[in-house]
Amino acid sequence: MFNYLLRRIYLLSITAFILTLLAFTIEHWTVHTQIDDNTFSHYFSYLNSIIKGDFGVSIIDNQPIFNTGLVAFSSTLELCFFAFIIAIIIGMPLGIFAGLDRNNGVDYTIMTIALIGLALPVFWVAIIFTILPHALGITLPIDGNISPIYEIPVVTGLLLIDSLLVTERYQLDAFLNHLTHLILPSTVLALFLTSEIIRLTRHAITMVMKSNYIKAAHTKGLTRWQIVYRHVLKNALPPIIHQIRLQLSTIISFAMAIEIVFSYQGAGMWLFASIHQGDYLVLSAALLIISGFILISSIIIDFILVLISPSKRKSLYADQ
Amino acid sequence: MLINNEFNEQKIQSPLRYIWLIFKSKNIAVVAMWAIITLLMVTLFTPYIMPYSPTLQHPDMLLLPPYWAEGANPAHLLGTDDLGRDTLSRLLKGIQLTLAGALSITLVISMLGLLIGATAALTQGVKASIMHHLLDALLTIPTILTALILIVLFGMSYENSLLAISLSLLPQFIRGIYISIENELNKQHIIALRLDGARNLRLLRFGIFPNILEPLVTLLTRIFTMAILEITTLGFLGFGANANEIELGALISKSLELVYLSPYLVLFPGVAIFLIIIVFNVFAEGVRHAIIEGEE
Repeated sequence: MFNYLLRRIYLLSITAFILTLLAFTIEHWTVHTQIDDNTFSHYFSYLNSIIKGDFGVSIIDNQPIFNTGLVAFSSTLELCFFAFIIAIIIGMPLGIFAGLDRNNGVDYTIMTIALIGLALPVFWVAIIFTILPHALGITLPIDGNISPIYEIPVVTGLLLIDSLLVTERYQLDAFLNHLTHLILPSTVLALFLTSEIIRLTRHAITMVMKSNYIKAAHTKGLTRWQIVYRHVLKNALPPIIHQIRLQLSTIISFAMAIEIVFSYQGAGMWLFASIHQGDYLVLSAALLIISGFILISSIIIDFILVLISPSKRKSLYADQ
Repeated sequence: MLINNEFNEQKIQSPLRYIWLIFKSKNIAVVAMWAIITLLMVTLFTPYIMPYSPTLQHPDMLLLPPYWAEGANPAHLLGTDDLGRDTLSRLLKGIQLTLAGALSITLVISMLGLLIGATAALTQGVKASIMHHLLDALLTIPTILTALILIVLFGMSYENSLLAISLSLLPQFIRGIYISIENELNKQHIIALRLDGARNLRLLRFGIFPNILEPLVTLLTRIFTMAILEITTLGFLGFGANANEIELGALISKSLELVYLSPYLVLFPGVAIFLIIIVFNVFAEGVRHAIIEGEE
């Protein structure tokens, strides 16, 4: 276990090194802050400053880029989190049904829904969703994170927690307001995620149903649902989690596109606005923040995978 | 000669012909194939099909609805936009740019990716190790971020957005190819081929490629779908196309402020993107099933 962890952290450090090189190249290419004759010493001073968390100051509002980026990215994470919960609640059962009865009516219906969910371009669905409250006559906010009447100080960066911290001033109003702002964007993201989870679950379930221990369970005389509960679900879970880990970056890139339509103040909107105003320092900071998050979370997911499925512990290179 | 070939002639079909036979029996997939052929024809002959030039303005016919709605003009089948430009022509031009871009991205990625992936899978040591770590790092960056960074570095244009998207999707494809070749390498027929003294090229041509067709088709569809989605997303964000190069995403973003006046202008390009992706996915699913059945 300890060896596995050590090996994983070693791989992480190499990847992180390559990422800092990429970020440095971008920074060097676009902005070139220091007029230094030596590229090596420039790289080391860059490395030194990003370890201290100093990515420079934005030319738009003179705020430190790192803080702005972290706050923006945590809003993106909130969006992803809600979409994820919706997707798991809807997608998992549908995927299980499709995987258990392969090649019949239910399977075809569910897979058609999944295909439609994948084929709809997210930003277009987001535009349709912005018209939806108007068309259906519901009152739902379609832009921003939170109504501007609430003044919420940044404490943790996660607006969900920050809005709970100001309860003595606004009661729960700020929190609920933020939640209603999250409904539409997270539904759009969940549309894509649900179809992805349906596909992954169906694939994993069919793989498990083919194996010999399921046949053995059948001969033991277990009923269909007993088999599903005892054997199938447990064994189907690790490959699904593994695939979702590989999809993390795709999910975040879709979330960023959705944010721009809803003008939700997340990482996508931050990048979009900064690039349009010519603040290219943001690029390398965003690269390091987002891929740093994905790296760390993939390590954590690997660790959880190893905990729940012992057969993974032997794998030397963690991706195989 | 003991075996008499003259009377009970048994024709053994080539695998490709066999797959085609199975594919023909699947109705939906064949329909999708004809739809793809139609789309390709539209892409190739857009200038001859378009009723008007996509930039020609008709000042007396602004914001016309499509022909089935009230107050339409049959001269403009799908209506016009706020400057009186024909929606159908703009849509066809958009389909041309988007589809041609996505197809060329898929082509470039498949060639480069097969080359790099096969090299990485068949070599050991320093070269493979550097490849792995570089891929690991590149795979953690969201594709849209990579595309944005590259566009900022290269400058904004339609061609540069295609270049940026192909570079951002390349790592995914290489990783997929690498994994499927690696799975194939441990099988017995590869070892037998190696014992016969086959070099790497021969191993790839006769041992590996015929057996990774199915994952290859899945990967290519995935890359094509992502390419369409990213071209349109970048166009929508205003990083891809300039005023003359209206691909479907840019078309949506340009008619965004008209969404309450004439929702058709936003609706049609989205439906076009949706149909392109659906058609290609259904076709690929048919091919995949045919390959799996053919192997069995």
